[in-house]
Amino acid sequence: MAQPVATTRGDAIGEEDPRYTEFKDNFARSEARLAALFDPRRSIQAPSRPDEDKREAHGEVNAVEVSQPTIAPPRKAARTIDEDDYGDDDEEEDEDLGTASPLQSKGAGAARIVNGTTPQGLLVPSLPKRPSNDRRSTASSTEQLKSPGDMRKKLEEDKKAAEDAARKSFHTLFYTLESDRDAMLEQQKLDDLDRQVESEMLGQPTSNTSAATVAGPQQGTLSSANLGASSLTLKHLIARIDAKRHMVNASDAQLRNLMSEVRKNRSKWASEDKVNQEELYESCEKVLMELKAMTEHAAPFLQRVNKREAPDYYNVIKHPMDIGTMLKKLKQLQYKSKKEFVDDLNLIWANCLKYNVDPQHFLRKKALYMRKETEKLVPLIPELVVRDRAEVEAEERRMQNGDLEGVEDSDDEEPIMASRGRKAPAKKGKKPSSTARKAPGARLEGTPGAESKPPLPSIRGSTSTLNNEFFRADSDAPMEGSQNGLATPPPGTLTPLGRHGIFSSGAHGSQADVSEIDATGESVSGVTTSQAEDLDLDDIEYRTWKQVTKKDRATVAAERNRLFRNNRLNAEEPALLRTKAGMRRWLRQRNQATEEGKAEGPAPAKDGREGVQSTRGETLAEGIEKEEERNLPDYYDPLSAIPDLDDRLKWVEDADGQVIYQAEEFLRMVPKGQFTAPESVLTRKMDANMRQMQETRKVCAKIGIVKQMQLQSQTYQNQFQKYEPQPFREADVEPLVISDEGPIMSQWVCRAALQRSVGKIFYHAGFEEFQPSALDAITDIAGTFFKNLVQTLGVYSAMPKIKTEQATPISEKAALKPRFTAEEAILHSLHENGVDLEALESYVKDDVDRLGSKLSVMHDRMRSHLAELLRPALNADAGTDGVGAFNDGSEQFVGGDFAEDIDEDFFGFKELGLDKEFGLASLSVPFHLLQNRMHNAYRAQNTSATETSGVIFEPPPPYEPVTIENVSSQIGLVQPFFLRKLHANGDLPLIEDEELPPKQRFPRPRLPPSGKITSPRKRPQKELQQMAKKKRKLDDGTAKDDSATPNVGKLKPIGKLRLEMPQKEGSQPEPEKDDGSAVGMISPESISAAA
Amino acid sequence: MNLSPHQPQDDTVLQSPCDGQPEDDDLSESKEFTEHISQMMFVSGETGEPSPETTTLIEQIVQQQVQEMLRECTALATRRGSRSISTDDLMMLIRHDKAKVSRLRHFLQWKDVRKNLKDQEDSGKGGGAEVPDLGGDDIPGVGATGQGESAKKVSKRAKVDLPWDVQSYYSEQVPARDDEEDEEEEEMNYATLQRLKMADERTKDMTREEYVHWSDCRQASFTFRKGKRFREWAGFGIITESKPNDDIIDILGFLTFEIVQTLTEEALKSQTRKRKREGGLFDPPEEAREPVQPSHVREAYRRLQQSSNKSKAMSAFSRAMQRKALKFI
Repeated sequence: MAQPVATTRGDAIGEEDPRYTEFKDNFARSEARLAALFDPRRSIQAPSRPDEDKREAHGEVNAVEVSQPTIAPPRKAARTIDEDDYGDDDEEEDEDLGTASPLQSKGAGAARIVNGTTPQGLLVPSLPKRPSNDRRSTASSTEQLKSPGDMRKKLEEDKKAAEDAARKSFHTLFYTLESDRDAMLEQQKLDDLDRQVESEMLGQPTSNTSAATVAGPQQGTLSSANLGASSLTLKHLIARIDAKRHMVNASDAQLRNLMSEVRKNRSKWASEDKVNQEELYESCEKVLMELKAMTEHAAPFLQRVNKREAPDYYNVIKHPMDIGTMLKKLKQLQYKSKKEFVDDLNLIWANCLKYNVDPQHFLRKKALYMRKETEKLVPLIPELVVRDRAEVEAEERRMQNGDLEGVEDSDDEEPIMASRGRKAPAKKGKKPSSTARKAPGARLEGTPGAESKPPLPSIRGSTSTLNNEFFRADSDAPMEGSQNGLATPPPGTLTPLGRHGIFSSGAHGSQADVSEIDATGESVSGVTTSQAEDLDLDDIEYRTWKQVTKKDRATVAAERNRLFRNNRLNAEEPALLRTKAGMRRWLRQRNQATEEGKAEGPAPAKDGREGVQSTRGETLAEGIEKEEERNLPDYYDPLSAIPDLDDRLKWVEDADGQVIYQAEEFLRMVPKGQFTAPESVLTRKMDANMRQMQETRKVCAKIGIVKQMQLQSQTYQNQFQKYEPQPFREADVEPLVISDEGPIMSQWVCRAALQRSVGKIFYHAGFEEFQPSALDAITDIAGTFFKNLVQTLGVYSAMPKIKTEQATPISEKAALKPRFTAEEAILHSLHENGVDLEALESYVKDDVDRLGSKLSVMHDRMRSHLAELLRPALNADAGTDGVGAFNDGSEQFVGGDFAEDIDEDFFGFKELGLDKEFGLASLSVPFHLLQNRMHNAYRAQNTSATETSGVIFEPPPPYEPVTIENVSSQIGLVQPFFLRKLHANGDLPLIEDEELPPKQRFPRPRLPPSGKITSPRKRPQKELQQMAKKKRKLDDGTAKDDSATPNVGKLKPIGKLRLEMPQKEGSQPEPEKDDGSAVGMISPESISAAA
Repeated sequence: MNLSPHQPQDDTVLQSPCDGQPEDDDLSESKEFTEHISQMMFVSGETGEPSPETTTLIEQIVQQQVQEMLRECTALATRRGSRSISTDDLMMLIRHDKAKVSRLRHFLQWKDVRKNLKDQEDSGKGGGAEVPDLGGDDIPGVGATGQGESAKKVSKRAKVDLPWDVQSYYSEQVPARDDEEDEEEEEMNYATLQRLKMADERTKDMTREEYVHWSDCRQASFTFRKGKRFREWAGFGIITESKPNDDIIDILGFLTFEIVQTLTEEALKSQTRKRKREGGLFDPPEEAREPVQPSHVREAYRRLQQSSNKSKAMSAFSRAMQRKALKFI
């Protein structure tokens, strides 16, 4: 912690510069803090470094003192971060650590930037007096003072910080989409360029492969191909593929690409035979891509200058260069060192500046801008030279003699720009503390570094001495090997040595180049010119935002463009689907935003929830779908948006993994009766009416049956539908649990309830049944009407408030009251919809009340009518059980005095003068005594009752049919007759007349409707049948009874008479007249006719 | 004839139509209607002699109404599956005006009664023994009730049932019992009494001659004794089948009279409203005042055609344009 700044001063050469850097860093920090002061939101995000305090104590920093005290509190948190990143407990160990302080401060600056303050380039708004150019240029001018690794790291982190800042602004700022189109077009241009380069590359066989396959020139074996370290891990696979090479339908290049893709951690630049190629090219490519991506400014430099556009261009410019060409060169592996690459890069800008002499020319501005960017980026490229592996190995062999090895292997931190595949020893440069810790031992070893070849020396330079920052570690320039001997990589890694130590020389070189080439003589560090030509008027934040999001915006815009091609929705496009990854990203962004919001706001309100929420995390199928990272605010991806969930509905687990049951807090039962008609006078009345209707209908059905029976000679059981109305019952919804307040907004249930009410009203209006479509239609209409009604009510209740008459004297503002009271609003809306209270009232009065009385009147009417039909004699004064009917002492039930009512002389009794003879008032037959009919009707209504009747009067056994066998038991007289019949019947048993099919039956004697028997009937033609019947009667001696009814006893004579009448006619003239039960003579037909 | 069905002198009138009435269909065309219209207007309270323009306008309105009614009836009948219109269809059209419905039922009942009576008279005694003296009957309604009671005794007054009444709820029709009180009848009587009271008011100060004239005017009808002409005029055969049953013609006659009456009353109202505004010392005397002008009739028609909120309720909050159906007066 205690920074030995003094020792830093003690260092001879590097003294000035590290201190300067230190000051600068301090300044930047304090400036950030100032910004934080003015913007309280950021104060927490800008942790101060503990070492800052030290430096403050030294009084080396001027501005810091002002801001320092206010920042003190958050130090603690920052401290932990610091400890995480750097092992600062090691720092005291060596005086060499002197360099560590600037480095660390640098790192601190980076850390600060990462933590969310505006990066260096973005600091302008807070302190306009010091333009960013200035500081940046100073940074670039002093960059050689610092360790190159740190520089690179810092730049990288700057960039990341910028991105982070832009990303942070996603939550706070809304950028319009207008620049998306530009972004898309530029991106398309870039893609075109890529394709062009690609196609040009394809045209000639890649020098990459040719270079790579030097060792094994024969095409066809993969083992000889350039697969780098993978050949070790994959060697069996490769051997296998080689063995079956003829079966693989892929070119070597394809296979190689495949291989390098399979080996995730190897880049395409990796080469077994070329040392440093991977690292160098990867970083070069990155830088190039970075520059290319600054489309706003890079666009003119993407392609070669067209001669048509500038005819004299190639006269002025001898060595044209553009980014496309550089890409091509890169892919063709034409660059051997960083210098070549940087030279080319600077050549582009220099060419531009040279050709466009006019200081106002817009391309100049772009070129200057690009050059600035280049300067920023160039330090990221490690100072490496591509060499043949053979050569390097030879060196290594030489070196191995006295080497100390294996020390650095444990280092596992990933270098930012280094190749991913190899453990670059140079990583140590970035971890000054750790390397420093090992430094003493290494020193003691006293490596014979003299032997080491040029690329080696600068590896440890950053930590060991300050001097190495001035090393010109050119590939051919031998360096102080003694110092760098420690850095020899372990042989196992097979990696080349030299890394980044000398990048500063590259920077210098580039600067020098620029100044040489540039006709105007503007130096990069020339603050004035760059300031003068700094054209970008955009808000710096906006610019960064554009920069960071450009590519993704372009992608999105392109997608949109595809989707809405020609200003219409393109049906051919694949459907937009929400992905889990997208939703996850959306969630994460929102979480970030809320975190920030929390950080800036006061302490979160409900702390109890916080922990709970944090455990929630991203559970959205993480890792199931591949994550595609996009630097875009979430409003670019509305598809993935997730609606807010009520906190109470979240799946929350407590510390033990138990689900926290939150139901009690908000779940509630739906109260009963929500979907039934409320009990009221009106509903009671309506229900009563409906019940009344059902009762009346029952009576009605009976009347119908009786009437039907009067018309029909035969009735069938199934002819009459039993009318059994079900009582009305309104079903409520099932017990239901809901989580919200207010009514249940379930459209279907509500509609069903309304439909039921409508159906009820239908029934109440007299419709016993109705079609579903009619019900639907009315329900819809009713729904619309009610909707309108409620909407009107809403309009009235949402009227602007008016002032009350007397404003309260205390408050100046007059008290407001709603324009309409609730009652007024309801009355108004009713009126608007054509309903008034009178109409409602008259509905209840006429259509409910009066209907009820009408219905009861109708019911009485029906009942009395039915009673009349059934028991004509049973008047109202007959009493409930008909006992009253006898009260008048009449002979109705004895003499059948009922026909009088209908003025009918059934049997001609009157005509015959019987009434006078017997002294009877009337001779009609009571209707209800016609038991047969009544019973049938009764049976039709009550089928179950039928069986009981059979038990009481058991029907006699059927007659035994006459057969050949038993014919001898018959009377001798008729035996020949029966025998004849049997013969005619083919010796089969004879069939009874009763059982004959109806058509063959002997016709029954008929009576005219009047019941008068005017003339004796003729003898029927079929003598034989009569004879047979007569015989049988004689045989049996008992009357045949074919009736199964319980009351048949009284009717027995009917059957007898009916059947025997023709025969008896002669001996008994008109027997029916003096027959006591003359009743039996009526035929059904006569009755119905009379009725 | 049928304007006031309760009128006691109907039978007489039937037998001896008054002089002013053309007896035959083949008499001059539009003139007769206008004449009748002016008579009806007189009965409805218009004391002056309306101009031909006014009566023509009223006739047009009535014609339009009748034709529209027939059209609607035909549509209803078609929906029922019948080709010919029935009285129920006409009832259906005016169902919302309960007073009118009850008047109409009353009218139909009495028409029935009269027919029965006439049959009896024709077959039996063949005399107008019961016909009271016309002139002595100051208040027609009072006489009507008395007469009605006697008629009821002779033959049961048939009730005119509406298809939406309680009887139709059930599958079986049962005869009404005599002892039942019909509440609606009371209402009917109330509406009728109102009308009669108005007529009484109008005739209160009349001389005998004037009253005779007034009674004559009450006989005015669109349909009586000019069935053929009315049928043509109303569009029978074009709008609907050409052979309407007698009841329909009678109902239409009743309704047309109602239309004229309503229009006249409304026109008078609008006229008096205007007059009141300019009322002053030098107003012309009541007798000399102008008869209603076409403008008054138009205004009355406009008011009667105003659609109620109820008809607009369903189209609220929607942009659907509402077709304005002709309202039956």
